[in-house]
Amino acid sequence: MNKLIIIKYGELTTKKGNIKFFIKTLKKNIDNALESLNYRIEYDNGRMYIFAPDLELVEKRLNYIFGIHEIITGYEFGTIEFDTIKENLKSLVLDSKIESFKVVTKRSYKNYPFTSMEISSALGGVVLKNCPGSTVDVHNPKTTINIEIRSNKSYIYFESKKGLHGYPVGVAGKGLLMLSGGIDSPVAGYLSMKRGIRLEAVYFESPPHTSDQAKKKVESLARILSNYSGYIKLHIVHFTDIQEGILKNVPHEYLITIMRRMMYRISERIALKNNCKILINGESIGQVASQTLDSMNVINSVVNIPVIRPVACFDKLEIIDISKKIEAYETSILPYEDCCTIFVPDHPVINPKKDLCDEYENSWDWKTLVDNAVKTEQVIKITSKDNKFSSLL
Amino acid sequence: MIYLDYSATTPVSKEVLDSYIKVTKEYIGNPNSLHSLGEKSKELLDSATKQICELLDIKESELIYTSGSTESNNTAIIGYALKNQKKGKNIVVSKLEHPSIYGICDYLSTLGFTITYVNNTEDGVIDFDDLRSKIKKDTILACIVGVNSEMGIRQPLKTLRQIIKKENENTVLFSDLTQAIGKINVNLHDVDLASVSSHKIYGPKGIGLLYKSDKVNIEPLIKGGEGELRGGTPCLPLIVAFSKALRIAVTSVSKNESVVKLLNDKLRSIIAKYPEIKINRTTYSIPHILNISLMNIKPETFIHALEKRDIYVGSNTACSHGKTSKTVLAVYGDEKRASTTIRISLSHLTSFDDINKFLYSFDIVYNKLNELGAIHE
Repeated sequence: MNKLIIIKYGELTTKKGNIKFFIKTLKKNIDNALESLNYRIEYDNGRMYIFAPDLELVEKRLNYIFGIHEIITGYEFGTIEFDTIKENLKSLVLDSKIESFKVVTKRSYKNYPFTSMEISSALGGVVLKNCPGSTVDVHNPKTTINIEIRSNKSYIYFESKKGLHGYPVGVAGKGLLMLSGGIDSPVAGYLSMKRGIRLEAVYFESPPHTSDQAKKKVESLARILSNYSGYIKLHIVHFTDIQEGILKNVPHEYLITIMRRMMYRISERIALKNNCKILINGESIGQVASQTLDSMNVINSVVNIPVIRPVACFDKLEIIDISKKIEAYETSILPYEDCCTIFVPDHPVINPKKDLCDEYENSWDWKTLVDNAVKTEQVIKITSKDNKFSSLL
Repeated sequence: MIYLDYSATTPVSKEVLDSYIKVTKEYIGNPNSLHSLGEKSKELLDSATKQICELLDIKESELIYTSGSTESNNTAIIGYALKNQKKGKNIVVSKLEHPSIYGICDYLSTLGFTITYVNNTEDGVIDFDDLRSKIKKDTILACIVGVNSEMGIRQPLKTLRQIIKKENENTVLFSDLTQAIGKINVNLHDVDLASVSSHKIYGPKGIGLLYKSDKVNIEPLIKGGEGELRGGTPCLPLIVAFSKALRIAVTSVSKNESVVKLLNDKLRSIIAKYPEIKINRTTYSIPHILNISLMNIKPETFIHALEKRDIYVGSNTACSHGKTSKTVLAVYGDEKRASTTIRISLSHLTSFDDINKFLYSFDIVYNKLNELGAIHE
């Protein structure tokens, strides 16, 4: 008997043509997450089986992996002989208190001489006989006993926990996340990773108007996101010259609109350079002046790359819930100024006109500055394992 | 040198000391300063704290750095008692505690608190029935040491807490885990307050922590921390070194425990052959400590005689200066047995060669002194 973790893939199994690629990517992501642990993985098209001395720690790390439908702690037996299965179940339930229960059998080995119904009812008998006080309840059981019979092995497990669902990070290709220090963009990043997108992130800094702490905060947020993907490449763009240029040359109610247009332009260039197929950001419809439909339209019009906005239709409270769930909230609310919060006009325009934007931009040479910003961007690789102090700690 | 007093204190491991020196030299900023040097220190402090919290599976808000277990014990007991005295003024204490706990209780009794002592069984485990009967309506706190420092007796903390909560759900369990953390696997969620020390796990002296569950409130003893539960600039080099020592200790608990168990078995099998020596050990003793009673020899004399041979063992605890062992008395009820104890405490650093050399010297010293002791009687 081996104690093990069984992983069910869930949505992956619907993707017939790509299933091998999906499962391989999932395996790679799990290998990366379990690095430094002692473990062994076996897998097929239906399940993954993880054997390790410290299953608790393995399970903890699996909670950060997309593409897992269920995480099950169970027992593997190297036999499918029916009497032995009965004996095995007996030994597992003998000391446990089982009240109402049902037995669910799955037979992927279709030549097995008993039907699922027959197996369930016989094994139900084993439980009734060995656990005084137990009763069968097929509708609302307190315990569900799962039996799986495969070609040469059988599995028994009791409860399963939900995985993160979604697709393994990487199967959908890469996207560039516009990561500010706020609450929304990390959530947008998390949600896009859930659909299998590998993230790179871009952050705009304006020293000395924005502080080093603000940058550190964004690095922390990227690190939180990297828990779900192993690592994230963070692009840091020096934005001071552009921001000061805007402040000098653009009417104040258009400051934010033009600033966002510049950020979009730079992001698109970085995305294309790094093979990212889309931009991702944390815009939520109507939340602030630059996120009205008119603003989105005018800002979005400067790029050709698709832009997705995973939290566009979420309420702030819904976003906060997810932010707390992924443990980004406490970091997000640290009070450091970022590019979007300095130089905020009293009355930013909520229905900006594209023609006016073009006119305001034509009055000064921002193109060189944008070129320069793209050229001088810094890249850091943020990994989930905080390596920075590893020699000291 | 053969050092067998690891329960009194441990040598700082090299990699821990390296971190201490490096941080002292290179991270000079105060973590509370706004400039980049402060920020750099703050970042390291946060990483060290985060690591400790992950290792102990607690939240950062549940960790208070202290100067060591004695301060943690003070903060936990006095801090909790002062903050919660409106709920009651009774404190239940085991008879197996570290001496510092009794000193604290004596102080609290001068403030009008009553102290009730709970009995243990002959195995050294807290007597469940006695505990049940002693938790009253006004009992605000129970102090039960996780692993006793003299005989290494380990308490079933989870069960004890269930018993306590069943009698009075407002009673909080404090456990001194100084001799437990890093030696055995402990779940801090089994208690409400706990002390941990760095110098028992190959970390530097002068640093430790108090675990305080978020559900529990205490009065800070060191004021001026602006909302923090202990005022003072965080001692970054000590904290980083402590964090590293804890990581090394916690991640090698099982491996080290099995090494120490073999050493203990070997020691015991030989010492058991001396007809007059009593081995003070129950089924709940952890293998890191072997406590014996010499019966006819004063422990102090014996310890100094071994010392002449460059061998170092302990009396009952380093902090009780060789007085009667309260623990041995509480378990066996035998005065003579309790007043002639020595404590041999082991480490994964101890080798079988050390044990053999120790046993060789032990034999010579024991036979010589036992003869004199017998004549003296």
